[in-house]
Amino acid sequence: MGLRLSYDDRSAAVLVFPVLAVLLVVAAYPILYSFWVSLHDIVLTRPLRRPFVWFENYERMLGDARFHTAVLRTTVYTVVTVSVVSVLAVGVALLLNETFPGHKLLNALLLLPWATPSIVNGLMWKWIYDPTYGLMNAVLVKLGLIESYRAWLGDPDLTLLLISNAAIWKQMPLAALLLLVTMKAIPDDLYRAAKVDGATVFQRFVHVTLPALRPGLMLVLVYETMISIRHFDLFLIMTQGGPGDASYTLSWLIYVETFRSLRFGTGAALSYLLAMLTFLLSWLFIRFLGEKTA
Amino acid sequence: MAAITLQGVTKRYGNVTAVQALDLAIREGEFMVLLGPSGCGKTTTLNMIAGLEEISDGTLLFDAKDVTRLPPHKREVAMVFQSYALYPNKTVAENIAFPLRLRGVPKAEIDRAVASVAEQLELTPLLQRRPNQLSGGQRQRVALGRAIVRQPSVFLMDEPLSNLDATLRLSMRSLIKRLHHQLKATFVYVTHDQAEALTLADRIAVMQGGIVQQLDTPEGIYERPANTFVASFLGSPQINLLRAGLPRPAWVAEGRDVIVGLRPEDVARPTEGLTALSGRVELVSPLGSETQLELALPGASITLRVPKDWRVTEGETLAFGIDPARLHVFDAATERRIAP
Repeated sequence: MGLRLSYDDRSAAVLVFPVLAVLLVVAAYPILYSFWVSLHDIVLTRPLRRPFVWFENYERMLGDARFHTAVLRTTVYTVVTVSVVSVLAVGVALLLNETFPGHKLLNALLLLPWATPSIVNGLMWKWIYDPTYGLMNAVLVKLGLIESYRAWLGDPDLTLLLISNAAIWKQMPLAALLLLVTMKAIPDDLYRAAKVDGATVFQRFVHVTLPALRPGLMLVLVYETMISIRHFDLFLIMTQGGPGDASYTLSWLIYVETFRSLRFGTGAALSYLLAMLTFLLSWLFIRFLGEKTA
Repeated sequence: MAAITLQGVTKRYGNVTAVQALDLAIREGEFMVLLGPSGCGKTTTLNMIAGLEEISDGTLLFDAKDVTRLPPHKREVAMVFQSYALYPNKTVAENIAFPLRLRGVPKAEIDRAVASVAEQLELTPLLQRRPNQLSGGQRQRVALGRAIVRQPSVFLMDEPLSNLDATLRLSMRSLIKRLHHQLKATFVYVTHDQAEALTLADRIAVMQGGIVQQLDTPEGIYERPANTFVASFLGSPQINLLRAGLPRPAWVAEGRDVIVGLRPEDVARPTEGLTALSGRVELVSPLGSETQLELALPGASITLRVPKDWRVTEGETLAFGIDPARLHVFDAATERRIAP
């Protein structure tokens, strides 16, 4: 029996084809091609020499000290950003779930940081942190908390946290909104039942709100982790990996390797390592947090 | 056990008054049903007794204790909701145990209490399931279990059977009635279903517009409705209420404007002592044991329920008799019942 398609199947195939073709060109091909690149020793300064080296690029990068630093920095940055975003978002969602004068206005204002372009956000925070005219210095000096202006982003112990702070400012609103939607779906009767059962405000949060937020929280965790682990724009604008290697994250390393050193082979290999790490983390979240929601 | 006394209890939402100066004395161990159409204030009243709604005005007493401003958990009431309101992430056992856990009852005691409640409500095989793995009837039994496990003196039920299908509703009705006999606690039960009210209640408070229209036993409410609203809210099919067309009992003053009510089942074959009437049969609806008829009288149309052996056919003229003593008479202006 040959391949016989019904009219519906055929028209479906025709309708899906354009999207499929576009995806093949703009997604599938680059993904496969970059994998191919990662198996070659391609350095753009010597364009004619591109030997096939199997997994040597991966091996070299996994043994590279810069890679180890980058993994450490990325981990710190991601853990700080994701946990602060999640906790803050739960708090903000709880606040916005209440009805008080002006809560609609606050709802709208909340989305402003999220609607701000990444670059603008980065520049804005860079100004705030600026050692000569920055708002943060001005405020802290006025409050008497510091005596003179400091180069905040130049402090290797603070750099990552300050960049993280800028990211949190931008990313928290969407997370809060996602959680707010989940929260709005919790039936009021559950809270009323818990009240009659004798639960305090905190117990109602633990026994009713948190379990119901689980799917939303998981979405936030996965999404924010994927964003943070690959984050690049703020690092480019604010510190360029510095001072020293204080903000040398994986995506910064990939950028340096690929576009500054023009070593496309190792750059592609690093990208693949980052992609695998992202997949692995998402899988872990879904595996261990998604379990009980079913 | 506790008696519940509402004195001038009022609930206002801004300019809207949901419950108006309600006086209601619920006796200790009584099964009180608040009956009325949606928006009549019955659920608001229940929520105020539970402490889930603040009382705008008036006093609420449990026995002699003023609980008007007490939070729900200090009132020792248990509540069952129409939506069951089970905690979705907890198992049946955890749901039932929850009120005890919050009170810091020792684990061994909780386990014993949960086992005994589960036994009573036939939930033992389901204890480790989660609510989404249960049927509607099972869920409502879990909700009942969570309510009875801490042996409260007052049970509040907000349309607990409205989400169940008809068959299940009947069996749950008897279960609730049995529970009331066993627990001897005070039950306050909100419903819009007259059959539930009539079968369960010791007394019924029929509410409309935030006001109790009548407070009486089920028989009293059905036999002596205080006004046309109560008369037409109870009984299926509805009572026939007519300004003209039905005979006026002899004691009604000549010239007084009245509404006469006739329950569809209060008819008989025309015999001595009954007022004879006749009308053209417009519609015959067999209901199994009985037949429902729509009849055109001179100047009016009424609904009757007659035994099926009357064998009525559409289009015929039916002669029947009514007992003037069974007629309900209401003042046409006030719509209140008037009696000889």
